[in-house]
Amino acid sequence: MPAGLLQHVKNAWENYQANQKNWAEWDYLVLDIETSGLNPKQDSIVSLGWVCIQDGLIELGSARHIVLENAPIDEQVGIHMITEADVQSQGKRQESVLRYLRQLLRNRVLVMHHAPMELGFLKKIWQQESFSNFSLSWLDTLAIERTKANRSQQPIQEGGFRLDNCRERYGLPAYAGHDALTDALATAELLLAQVAYQGPDCRLHDLNQLGGGRTRLSSNQ
Amino acid sequence: MTAIDIPEVQKFVSSIPPFAHLNAFEMSQLLLGVSMLYVRQGQTLQLSDKAATVHLIRRGACEIRTAKGGLVDQIADGECFGMSTLLEQNPQGLQVIALEDSLVYRFDKARFEERLDKNEAFGLFFEHTLHNRLRKVSRTQSHELASPALQLSTPITHIMTQNLVLASPNETVQAIALRMTEARVSSILVVEEKRLQGIVTDRDLRSRILAVGGSADSLVRDVMTENPVVLLNDALVMQAQTLMSESNIHHLPIVDDDHRAVGMLTAADLLRHQELSPLLLIKQINRQQSLEGVAVVCKQWPTLMINLVITDMKSVDVGKVLATLSDNLTRRLIELALEKLGPAPMDFQFLVFGSQAREDQSLGSDQDNALMLEREPTVEESQYFANLSDYVCQGLAACGIRLCPGNIMASNPEWRKTKAQWQNTFSSWIRNSTPADLLHASIFFDIRCIYGQEDDLMDVIRNMLSEVSKNSVFLATMTRGAIASKPPLGFFRHFLLESSGEHKHQLDLKHQGLALINDLARLYGLSCQTYRISTLDRLEQALKEKKVSKDTARNLMDAWEQLNELRLGTQCSHWQSLGDVSSYLDPKDLSPLERKQLKTTFSMIADAQEMAQQNFLRGFS
Repeated sequence: MPAGLLQHVKNAWENYQANQKNWAEWDYLVLDIETSGLNPKQDSIVSLGWVCIQDGLIELGSARHIVLENAPIDEQVGIHMITEADVQSQGKRQESVLRYLRQLLRNRVLVMHHAPMELGFLKKIWQQESFSNFSLSWLDTLAIERTKANRSQQPIQEGGFRLDNCRERYGLPAYAGHDALTDALATAELLLAQVAYQGPDCRLHDLNQLGGGRTRLSSNQ
Repeated sequence: MTAIDIPEVQKFVSSIPPFAHLNAFEMSQLLLGVSMLYVRQGQTLQLSDKAATVHLIRRGACEIRTAKGGLVDQIADGECFGMSTLLEQNPQGLQVIALEDSLVYRFDKARFEERLDKNEAFGLFFEHTLHNRLRKVSRTQSHELASPALQLSTPITHIMTQNLVLASPNETVQAIALRMTEARVSSILVVEEKRLQGIVTDRDLRSRILAVGGSADSLVRDVMTENPVVLLNDALVMQAQTLMSESNIHHLPIVDDDHRAVGMLTAADLLRHQELSPLLLIKQINRQQSLEGVAVVCKQWPTLMINLVITDMKSVDVGKVLATLSDNLTRRLIELALEKLGPAPMDFQFLVFGSQAREDQSLGSDQDNALMLEREPTVEESQYFANLSDYVCQGLAACGIRLCPGNIMASNPEWRKTKAQWQNTFSSWIRNSTPADLLHASIFFDIRCIYGQEDDLMDVIRNMLSEVSKNSVFLATMTRGAIASKPPLGFFRHFLLESSGEHKHQLDLKHQGLALINDLARLYGLSCQTYRISTLDRLEQALKEKKVSKDTARNLMDAWEQLNELRLGTQCSHWQSLGDVSSYLDPKDLSPLERKQLKTTFSMIADAQEMAQQNFLRGFS
């Protein structure tokens, strides 16, 4: 299929060119997902928090903190500070939340701290809701931090890649809370700091090289 | 739309004083418009377009500098900048530079303005910035001011950094750059067998490696500044300060007798500790045992004044602080003179006139003083007081208070008089003065005793006021003098027409503004039963005794405060950028709003002159 191939090359070329633009010319959505456990196969999502970056600035007006309806609460209350009552009163349908998120991600790069986890859960609910295929670019602040550490041959201690510890290295304040939105904001600030340390000409391409990629979410595995 | 609730942001913002005035709704309205940015150390923030608004430092530190690079302020967590940009379009062209990596909240302009408008307490807090160059908003700042300040005599070991970041001459530049970044320092000391060999600063890396395309593998020994300026660890802060400003360096390694690096002192260390308090300065003055010592301490005077102005002390209080300092300084010099010359042969009073008496001194005020003696001195006694006066007047000059160009000083024999002679002098001025006589004599009517028994002076003043009330022609004569110079109203028209900037039209805030109000206030003050010295007190007194209309008095007070504030601000910026204390103002430095206010102020003075003419000159002209 030459036409398909051509399209593919064209896409790749555009993609490449776009990547050469300064990072700030892109919009980002920084996401954190609170779950009932660490295994996407067994556990489920309790809440999502996100905040967007536009023109290189974190826009607090874009911040969202959403609890899913039917979210399993149990013993996790202690961690998330989300109660059964919150789920009852504010719980949102997973499908509509996902629809909203997909809308936002159409022209934004997804940013997470430790992407494999969050992507795992995203893939799972994508299947649950039978959404159509969707490609997205993502950045992982943890991967960026790890690559930087490797490149500078600065060994980082066990646990040194936890969000709080990464932030501390850039002089970012310690946050007491660890709900989804606070962590999303914390991750967004970390990204800004990482970018600032790359210098004023940092491109999305550079960030991708440090810790980013593309992933396809699909309805069937 | 879900109302956002970001506890970490909310908690922080509402802990900052002005924001605590906001209710939950107002707070969330404001927070919805917040953008956050991360600024690298050394980066300059552009406060234009969307960024021309108020910012709040979440974490980090920034300094505010004038367009010419003069340091205005250093601010950190919880402090705001950009107020003058939002409120007056940043007429001073202030720049904000990150001293540390900083996380900063930027408020949406429209939302912030709405809050300024609608919340009175919040608005008032920031409105203050219309009068002041800058506003420090944090509580911590006022705490710092109250805390014990750095004394010039503090050993540098107390404030130097002892956790040194060290390098060896054979390392690569890249290796030390990494270490410096990690340790968040701007310089690194190069040692060999503990002995200091050199220093490498951020700037060196920039200019000697990056700027010339040098390799990251260059060796430290080839890049470092060899044998840098150092100071021994038994030195005092005073010496460090002098050395750094003389050598124009910001990093000063401290070494011991064996030239081993034991500490590092940066300009920032000095600045951080240099929160001067007036009380401390007075204590320092009083502790000095020699004229030289006093003169050294007085070198901090301008820094103190700048600190007072940028921490928003009201201008009238700045004047009082400076007058208190002058009083204490003068008294200390008199004491030193007495120690040197032996006890005085008779009681005497040391009198001050003019701005020191009125307590509206600023930097660059000259001295006006005199002696009042208990009785007619003998020849030897006369010589004693001549010596004492010389010592004090020359001492004041050495401490930065200029000699009086008109020679109104105790060192001039003409101004060493007995009480009776002073009374006669005042009587003769009051009874038969020409306007020309009074032009020079008017400052004598602002008089205060700062050493010796005050009662004697009170007698003189009582006598003076009673004479004035009996001789209405005196106030008429004085009025002619007071209204002889007019405020520079035409000035603005001219200034507005002039756009090429070829002619520098400058405004003398002191002689074309403040002095005119002082003259009017003196006039009203002397028509009162009760003697007051300061310009504001005189107007207040005249109002109380119904010698002046409420409008005129209030207008003059406002005008005086506005001009005084402007003068202090002008002096501070002149001092910081040029090192002189001129109170000349270039109207180009003012925003249109300020120009309008200033014009109003001058027309108020003109109106008040008119009123004075009607009050005191009716029937005489």
